[in-house]
Amino acid sequence: MLAYIIRRLLWSVVLLLVVSLVIFLIFFILPTADPAELRAGRNPDPELVAAIEAQLGLNRPFYVQYFFFIRDIVTEFNFGRSYQNNVDVREEIFSRIPATASLALGAAFVWLVIGLLIGILSAVKRGTILDRLAMGAALVGISAPVYWLGLVSIYLFSNDIGRFPIFEPPGTYVAITEDPTQWLKSLLLPWLVLATAFAAVYARFMRSNLLEVMGEDYIRTGRAKGLKERAVVFRHGVRAAITPIVTIFGLDLGILLGGAILTESVFNIPGIGRTAFDAISKGDIPIVQGTVIIGATAIILLNLIVDIVYAFIDPRVRY
Amino acid sequence: MTNTQHDAHLQKGRSMRKIKLSWLMTALLVALAMVVAGCGGDDKSENSGKKASPVAGGGDPGEGKPGGNITFLAAGDVDYLDPGQTYYTFGYMVHYAVNRTLYGFKPEDAETAIPDLAEGEPEISEDNKTVTVTVKPGVKYAPPVDREVTADDIKYAIERAFTANVPSGYATSYFAEIEGAPEKPGKYQEIPGIVVEGNKITFKLTKAVAPRLAAALVMPITTPVPKEYAEKFDKKSPSEYDQYVAFTGPYMVKNDAEGKVTGRQPGKKIEIIRNPNWDKATDFRPAFLDSITIEEGNDDLTVAARRTLAGQTLLCCDSGQPPIPILRRALQRNPDQLGRVAGGGTRWIALNTTQKPFDNLNVRKALIAGFDRNALRLTRGGEEVGSIAQHWIPPGIPGHEESGGDAGFTEFDWMQNPEGDPALAAKYMEAAGEEGVPVENGKYAGKDNILTIATNADPGLKTAQTAQTEFEKLGFKLNFRKVPQDTLYTKFCSVPKKEVPICPNVGWFKDFQDPESMLQPTFSGAAIKPAGNVNWSQLKVPEIDQAMLDAATIPLGDERNKAWAEINKQIVAQAPGIPYVWDDSISIASKDMKMVINGYYTSPDLSFTSVK
Repeated sequence: MLAYIIRRLLWSVVLLLVVSLVIFLIFFILPTADPAELRAGRNPDPELVAAIEAQLGLNRPFYVQYFFFIRDIVTEFNFGRSYQNNVDVREEIFSRIPATASLALGAAFVWLVIGLLIGILSAVKRGTILDRLAMGAALVGISAPVYWLGLVSIYLFSNDIGRFPIFEPPGTYVAITEDPTQWLKSLLLPWLVLATAFAAVYARFMRSNLLEVMGEDYIRTGRAKGLKERAVVFRHGVRAAITPIVTIFGLDLGILLGGAILTESVFNIPGIGRTAFDAISKGDIPIVQGTVIIGATAIILLNLIVDIVYAFIDPRVRY
Repeated sequence: MTNTQHDAHLQKGRSMRKIKLSWLMTALLVALAMVVAGCGGDDKSENSGKKASPVAGGGDPGEGKPGGNITFLAAGDVDYLDPGQTYYTFGYMVHYAVNRTLYGFKPEDAETAIPDLAEGEPEISEDNKTVTVTVKPGVKYAPPVDREVTADDIKYAIERAFTANVPSGYATSYFAEIEGAPEKPGKYQEIPGIVVEGNKITFKLTKAVAPRLAAALVMPITTPVPKEYAEKFDKKSPSEYDQYVAFTGPYMVKNDAEGKVTGRQPGKKIEIIRNPNWDKATDFRPAFLDSITIEEGNDDLTVAARRTLAGQTLLCCDSGQPPIPILRRALQRNPDQLGRVAGGGTRWIALNTTQKPFDNLNVRKALIAGFDRNALRLTRGGEEVGSIAQHWIPPGIPGHEESGGDAGFTEFDWMQNPEGDPALAAKYMEAAGEEGVPVENGKYAGKDNILTIATNADPGLKTAQTAQTEFEKLGFKLNFRKVPQDTLYTKFCSVPKKEVPICPNVGWFKDFQDPESMLQPTFSGAAIKPAGNVNWSQLKVPEIDQAMLDAATIPLGDERNKAWAEINKQIVAQAPGIPYVWDDSISIASKDMKMVINGYYTSPDLSFTSVK
């Protein structure tokens, strides 16, 4: 197991290098905003633009820029400074991780609880009105884009402009260390919105997996041996049906930890996703690189954790 | 039947139900959307176009109730806090609350600059080559600098703006004629043409452009910077003074004992508090509020605008205007919550005069004649947001009235019908045909698709799409490309070598109250640059260039205004673009706010705004 983890971690480093190189290349090949001109104002002299390019190192060949970027990360864990506002990229990203983590982990909890419960209930009560209603609701959840659903929720439930003022309005997020009650209140609606689509997918996924598992021979054997239905479903059915869900959960959570751009934008949560979006539109490569590397790291680590968890929940898996 | 067969059977039955279910879901989504659409309630009146004043709800801008803490909802962030670098409207809004310049504007009069740090009017020598200003005593920096402002601080502020570490966007445009000013950004050096004697600062110029330099003394570059404090930050590349600004205004951004600005979290918020060292006796601003928090990241300004209208102690938005549907509704239902001033700018579709077929004057005239410019204006909000632009000096800028006001110059027939005149367009197109341009039946008949670089976000995208329809009506086929607005400028339209024939999303807004700042950068052949070029039409007419050089030396006043109006007329005669709107700047406020907009920087004046 240890050798496997070390091997995976080494591959992760290679993967991060490739990802960062691809991002660098994308910015050089595709037409993005020129950061030097953006810094220089709306009617800049060419000499000023050239001076800023030199200042930011943008006048060097891209491979030299890339080399310095990687060198600084490896030797000093330094992601550089933002082209746009000259702040330290590492500080900037790390200051936004708590908001993104709060949003992603809370939403993940909500969608796991709701999605799995609905999936199990639908499978167990297959063909009933409950099943149909649950799967119908899931279809709505999957069909509604998160951006649209977020806006609808704000117009319906925000306690300043909503028809039914229940939840805190956008822009009220505070760190948990600052005010835990306000943190919780400000994230309730974003959690529900972000979790909706995921819960719907997980419910349908869980239902179909469980239906398939419940048709297996060993389930029939368990029933024939006189096991209680609850034990059959949860101990033997759900345990087997949940394995593929753990895989997609790892991926989904990793992606969200890299930034839930739409939800963060709609609810004005100062997380990594919104930073990345702003940076992309301004051609702020150091911030983009930083957010991509953090996102990729989250995905890689969570995949590794998932693979390790596999060994515990599925006895057939060995490393 | 195996389990698999059973599922397959069920699947078939389910697919029928799925179809029904999907209809049901669609209906549900539509119903939900209708509920949301109705959230704002019904429009009670069709009475549109009700104009608001610079003061939301009206009244004297100088009166207000002291105290109160407010929040400004914004989508973006300021460009810089450093006065040597800030150059955008939103940055100016914060700048003029936390800093003081030599001259400034009261919110209700954006045409007459009044002394702020200066003790009186600038003294201009008879040969127009010297400007002298006396600096007012008794103005102190906020902590931790705590000392009195001197004329030397203003000298250093201007000198540092010529360095590579402090990239000022306009120092080399409006202050380049100071004797000894560096021609290009480099290391810090003293500028011999800025002479300080006691509390007097004198600018010695190489050309007779004192009137323009005097007009530019309202710009943030004249904000004092204490050399002994800022020098160490300015030595960094780029300067870190942006994070350690020494404030002089009635307000300051929160900082710590070392002067590090702790109240600005880029992209998140800016916390503005009172400057304890500010002395009301030295300032014309009342500074009613106790604190202002700028909450950034409100990407959906529709939500932010609705929150503002429904909420308390809120201001919105940083985009020049709230979203159009909200604006229309607010004009009818909440006019007292709107503040409005002339935007001081023009929007147009740039036709590159160096590219075929726009190198032909008759083609350009035909386009303006045939274009429905009202349709273009509608994409920005229609009549409610401002007049259709008829020339290049917008309302509120000296020279506008001398250019025929909103109606413009009557002698140019192609400018006379903003809704389009197909017959006149055909006439000019036929004339172009006689000069070798491919024309059939009064329409352009060229085979090539003409590259058009448009912005990819509304409202600019809608403008560009409407323009595309208008071009096609006149026979043009476009190769229509959409890119983000910043990319549009920095990679295409502002880079002459890219040879983009049509840029449908350009606009220029004033730097200060002088027609030169509207026309010189945008239509002077001498202003064309390899990058960062804003003469998007690449107009290069020697007579116009010479007229600009001559007019630059004329003192402020009627003669100068007439001279620039004449240049304006010459530019209109060249038909370098299709002007379509002089839009106003409109902000919105909560009911309990007395918001005051400053006509100079066209955003809420935080030093005059108050809570009712």
